[in-house]
This record gives sequence, C-alpha cells and structure tokens, in this order.
Amino acid sequence: MALVMISSLYQAGREDLTQELARKTGWPTFSREELLEMAHQEGIRIGRLEMSMIKGTSQSEKLAREKKLYLAFITAELGRRAIDGNLIYSGRAGHLLLPGVHKLRVGLSAPLDIRINRAAKALHMQPDQAESYLAQLDEDIDKWIRQIHHASGQDPTKFDIFINLESMSVKHAADTLYAISQLPEYQESPASRRALEDQYLAAQAELKLITDDRTAGADLRVKADTGYISVTYPPQNEPVSEFIPAVLADLEGCREIHCTMASTNILWVQERFDSKSENFQHILQLAQRWGAAVELMRLVTPEDVPEGSEPLGTEYDFGRRECPLPDTGGVEDDDPLGVIDDGGLSSAIEVLIDQGRCGGGISVCGGYDKILEQVQGDANYALVVVGEMFLSKGKSTRTRRTRELAMNIRDRLKAPVITIDELESKFLFGKRQAINLAGYGLLVVVLYFLVFQNQEQILNFLSGPTHEKVKWLAPLLIFAFVPIVAYLYGTVTGLALKLIDID
Amino acid sequence: MHTLITYVDINLAVALQVVLLGFIGGILSGFIGSGGAFFMTPGMMNLGVDGVIAVASNITHKFGKAMVGSRKHAAAGNVDKKLAAFMLVTAIGGIQIAVAINSYLFKGGGDSHGPGSSAGANLYISLVFATILSVVAISMLRDVLKSGKGEEDSGPSMKIAEFFSRLNLPPVIHFGVADTKVSLWVLMAGGIATGYLAGTIGVGGFIGVPAMIYVFGVPTAVAAGTELFLALFMGAYGAISYAYHGFVDIRLTMLLYLGSLIGIHLGVYGVKVVNEKYIRAVTSVIILLCVVSRVIAIPAYLRQLGFVSFPAEYDQWFNFGSKFFLFASGIAGALLILTKVISAYRQRRKIHKTLQVSRESDVELAVLKEAV
Repeated sequence: MALVMISSLYQAGREDLTQELARKTGWPTFSREELLEMAHQEGIRIGRLEMSMIKGTSQSEKLAREKKLYLAFITAELGRRAIDGNLIYSGRAGHLLLPGVHKLRVGLSAPLDIRINRAAKALHMQPDQAESYLAQLDEDIDKWIRQIHHASGQDPTKFDIFINLESMSVKHAADTLYAISQLPEYQESPASRRALEDQYLAAQAELKLITDDRTAGADLRVKADTGYISVTYPPQNEPVSEFIPAVLADLEGCREIHCTMASTNILWVQERFDSKSENFQHILQLAQRWGAAVELMRLVTPEDVPEGSEPLGTEYDFGRRECPLPDTGGVEDDDPLGVIDDGGLSSAIEVLIDQGRCGGGISVCGGYDKILEQVQGDANYALVVVGEMFLSKGKSTRTRRTRELAMNIRDRLKAPVITIDELESKFLFGKRQAINLAGYGLLVVVLYFLVFQNQEQILNFLSGPTHEKVKWLAPLLIFAFVPIVAYLYGTVTGLALKLIDID
Repeated sequence: MHTLITYVDINLAVALQVVLLGFIGGILSGFIGSGGAFFMTPGMMNLGVDGVIAVASNITHKFGKAMVGSRKHAAAGNVDKKLAAFMLVTAIGGIQIAVAINSYLFKGGGDSHGPGSSAGANLYISLVFATILSVVAISMLRDVLKSGKGEEDSGPSMKIAEFFSRLNLPPVIHFGVADTKVSLWVLMAGGIATGYLAGTIGVGGFIGVPAMIYVFGVPTAVAAGTELFLALFMGAYGAISYAYHGFVDIRLTMLLYLGSLIGIHLGVYGVKVVNEKYIRAVTSVIILLCVVSRVIAIPAYLRQLGFVSFPAEYDQWFNFGSKFFLFASGIAGALLILTKVISAYRQRRKIHKTLQVSRESDVELAVLKEAV
C-alpha cells in the first residue's frame, strides 16, 4: 500500500502531477478541493475558519472548536480512503497530516511566471493582478498552515522529496514518485497501520462528538489506541459526559471507551511504565492535586528494535526506524497466551482508570521530533514530563540524553517541560521542600526584622544626607536587595501554597 | 532633594493596610495579568504616601515580582526576547520622559511644604491615571457587553495591526516566537508609550499588552509573557532611576511583597478556573471604580495648587471618598475572585472520575469507576 501526499501552493502543478501519477499507477486520488466540497455539504464552514485564522490571531473557544472539527473531518476522510489501500492526496499541507503513518511526503514548486500565467487564465485576471493575488495568497496559505498545523508549509524537513517543475517534466516527476513509493520505507508496516487505524478511529469519534447535539459544544479531547478510545472533558462539561458512550455506541473498531473528567492534561513520556514505581505515584499525586488527566506516551528509542528486525546500526544512521510495537501475531489480547510486552503501558492505563485520571496512552518510536509530531497540533498540556529514557545506556549518558530530549521538546512546544527528576523539587512537597520552606522563611523574617528595626538609618541611606553625598549607592542597594527579597519570599509563598495544594 | 521628601510614618495599622493593598493588588494582578499598580499606587497615596514615592516604590516592587513571574512564562515558551529587547530600548526613553516630568512637577508643585509640595505631581499622575484607565475599562466593558448580546467572540481585532502591516514602513523586523512582522517606527512609538506610562503611573502593561496584541499582531499569551519579561528590565531601570533621585521607600516595597506574592498565586489560580467573560467583566468594573476613586481625589490637589478654593479641611473628605471607592472596588473584586478560587479549589479535590465502557462484538458492558 502506498500513500502519497503532494503539497504545493496554488497553480504549482499539483493537479497535473496527481493526475499523471494516477494515470500511471491506477491509484485513487483525493484533492483538497473535493475535501472542501464534502466539508461544505456536511455544514463545516472552512471558508470562515480560513478567514478567521488568516486575518487574526484569535483564540476564541468557538474558533478552536471549528479548527478541531476541520482537523477531525480531514483526518477521518483521509483515513477512510487510506485504510482501503493506495491513495494520492493533493493539497496544501497533506504532508503534515497523519503523523506516524508511512507516507511519501512530496513538496512541489513551479516557476513564478508559469504560476502567474496559469492563475491569470484560471481567474480571468491581468498578469500583474494575478502576481499580486498570488503573493497575498502564498502569504495567507503559509499563515493558515502555521495556525492549523503549527509548522511552516515550506519547511524542507517535513518532506521526503521536493520537486521543482522548472527542471523536471510532470511525467518524469510522476515516474520518480512512483519509483520512490515502491521502496520498502514507504510501504505499510504493522506500526504504520496501527497509527493509521488509531488516528482514523480518534477522528471518527471526535467528529461524532462534535456534531452530535448531545455533546456538541463540549471541550473534549479524544485519543485512540488499538481500539481503546480515551475522552477527557473539563468539570464544567460533566453533564454531557453520560452521553459520550451513547454517541460513540455504533463506532466500528471501538473496543472500549474511557471518559475522564479533568481540568487539564499532563503528558508523561517514558520508555517503560511501572504502576508500582515511585515516579508513577508522584505523577498520580500531582494529577490528583491538579485535577488533571495523565496521558502516557511510550517513547521507544530506535536502538531498542527487537531481535529479528532489520538492523539499524548506530543511532546516527540515516533511514526510517521502525517502531517495535507489540506484535500479537494475530492473537487477541483476551487469549491467555497472548501476553505481550507493551512496556507496561496497558497496566499503567488500568491503574489510571482506577484512579480516575486516565488521559489515554500511545506508543511512538523515535526522538523528540516524533513526540512533537504527535502532540504539536494539540499541545494544550499543563505539563510535559520526560521520564526515564534510554534505559539501555549508562547512568550519566541516560541523564544527559534525557535532559537533551527535554530541552529539545521545551524549545519547540509551548508548554512547561520537565524531567522526572525535577518533578519532586518543582511540583511536589516533600522533606526537601519542608526544609527549604523553613530555611527561606527564617531568612525572610530576619530580613524584615532588620529593615523595620532600622528604618531611620535605611531611609537616610536611601534619600537622606548619606544619599546626598553618594547618590549611586541607593540604586545599587535597591538593584541588589529587591530581587533577593522577591526571590526568598516568592519561594516561601510558593512552597507554602504548594503545601496546601494551591498551585 | 531629601529636604522635600516626606516618608510616611509606618505604624502597625499603616503596615497592615499596605500589606492588604499588596494582597488585593496581587490577586487582581494575577487575575487580570497587569501589574496591579492601578490599585496599589492610588491606595498608597490614600494612606498619605506622596504620589511619586508611591509610584517609585511600586515600580521597584514590580521589578522583583516580574523577575519571579517571567521565569514561569519563559518556561511556557511565551516570551519573545527579541521583541522585548526592541521594546525595552524604546521604553527606556519613555521612562526617562516620565521620570523627568514627575521630578520636575514634584520640585515645582504646590507651596513646597506639607502635602502641597507634591500636589503638582499628584494631580498630573491622577489625571493620566484616570484618562488611560477609563479608556481601557470602557473598551473592555464594551467587549463584554457585545459578547453578552450574543455577538460572536472572535478574539482581538487585527484591524490596526493589518493597517500598519500594509503601510510596510521600512525597516520591518520579523519576530519568530510571536510570528509577526512589525515596522521599527511602530515599535518605537509603542515602546515609548509603554515606558512613559510605566514611569508615570506604573501601569505599563495596560498599554504594552494591548499594543502588542492590537498594533503588532502578537498572540495574547506571548504578549503577556513578553510584557512581563519587559517589565523586569523596565522595572529595574525605573527602580534605579527613582532610587537615584531618592524616591524609593524600600519599606513600602517590602510590605507590598508580603501581600502581593500570595495574592498573585491566588489570582493566577482564579484565571485557570473562571471563564474569560467573567474575568473581563470583573476587571473592567474594578478599573472603573479605581478611576472614580482617583477622580474624587483631584479637587484636593487642585486646591493645594491654588486652582480652586475651598476650606482645607474638606481635603480629608475627598481623601476619604477616594479611599472608600478604591478599597470598595479592590475588596469587592478580590472577594469575587477569591469566592471562585475557593469553590474551584474544593471542586478540584473531588475530580477523580473515569467512566469505563467496554464494548465487545456481542456483549456490551459498562463499568463506572469513581474514586472521590
């Protein structure tokens, strides 16, 4: 099965290339234009969403819902077609859709003069008008892609191949794409299939929930993992929660539904989960304090490819790294023999369900880029915790690389990102925090006592005769002293409020 | 200069009132996202603190507070340091203008002794305060009323940002984190205005954040984070400038911290649990009442400057009326926020609920697991 996503700007030849590739391969095609038409028939106002996204930086709840609906719709439609076999999709940013699914991501460009002439002909414009139109449109499209997918439409790292039709004919471009699409790297694998099925199922569930009158308007987060659908909802949407199972009742492929009430979400990325570990208890404790759902992401590093798989060599080799997801070999998990190693993910989820804190779980293979790929469009996390990673390495390497991983995610994701080692010091209250509270508190008392016992001398220093003699001393004192007071007292108040669970 | 400066005598009652001002200012600050100076500055003036000392002590307090707060925003990726750097350079010019005007009015105001010595500066600060905050509060209230009538809440309007973007005045600078392009000239105007207001009334955020959102086209979260980062440097510069002139009362700054650093945590917590319309409605009403409070104080300053004449003992009534409105608005606003915070806190401790529904091909089993 091959999935080819061709992305380009307006009148850059994507329709021609799509048709040529379809003619050569016989694969079905699907275009952005067809998608828009279908969305329109379903009552999804994409035009208005585009205008709102392009013209402003608005973050209203209604707009966020429309964006969710659009993404769910496009993912469901693409998923429905891709799951049946080969597919060629042509659009603006199809290459950014279906993360984790094996697909050939094609970028396409064409000379500006050809684009201008084609646009002028298509829109009945003069060439100079068409040129300004294209300039504005290109800018708007880039903005739209950034708003919807949180990435640049022209970022070369998001493509597998970029074709310039200035120096290659459409026919040869199609031949090239066909040849590349037959490479093993672009064929479906069990992990890729699972990612596609999960995303298709989640998108269908989300669409149903958004469009059903009983649950429409609720702020729901939907995740799917091998037929298990996790829905989290904020406390104010509790009245609609009872309808969620009913709305998803006839959803094909859904094995189980978990609905969790949560004020916010915590993402925990780790290689293996152990529900009896101290770290698990810490995360659970924090989630209970915050009223948060915990979303588990099992990150499998490439060097953990199981025996029998194609060797990858060192971690710095090029080429796709397949995720060693649990393979049941066709044995379903209700079979007693079908015990599989999923890194403790399913048992951790079970405990989270028992505790009412389940936000779903997922396995991904790769580095920080794969984490970002999974969460970037939906990065509304109160906290991202990078747990124990690189378990096959020595302690110092493990610590360094875990810290590097956290830093890479932190730089690119607009959410607080910490390592599991920092969790206790930053968010939990233990012995160390109690000692800090007492120590800092004592220092604060001493500072305030000294200042208020010596008011006259201090005021004299700040604006009296001493100040008249040496004017720069007062600013120096203020500059050095005030941050110390703010830091010490700020730490005391922060710890004290943490002690009573207000943070 | 020290001969002109009269520091307020701080006894236990005054100290507690300043701590309370800090606490309420902190709650409002955490909830609204501004520095809370609109409440604390006039509040201190009502306690008998000279306007310029109230501003100086508050800007010093803001400096330390911004240092703590901006670290959190930076961790969340909400700070555009390049934008903050450009704003800072221009804002320093604005602060210098403000400090120069305040110092000049302080020296030349009134009859140069007693409360009248600072009446010129007090009047000037009160007028700027009332004008700017009236505009801010009325705009916010209008937005709330508009959304209350069922008009679509489409977020901040981008008309002004688009207008300046179309003008394309070179040089145009791109800001990566904020993902926007702004002309250097527009940046300079915004920066100077922010610095001037921060230096005059200590509420730079009230112009800086809207300027970034509406004029530069910066996303709201990045505007708030960048403003706080900017406030750190502006606060430091303002604090040093005022300290050089001998206007900073470190005692007031420290007392403000006692209340504000607790209040700010509660205010921020409130933002997480209260809907946006409620936040804007409460904020605009509080600011409007603060404006009324400051306007009531103006006749006393006018009398001290000799512009109007009435018996001097009436001053205490104007001061009382002003104080009443200020504390009424602050306390009522803080209570409204605290009520929401407490109810959300209690509710949050109960949220431990997962509904598990298992569906197999021919059997449907529903299990409800609740852990309260």
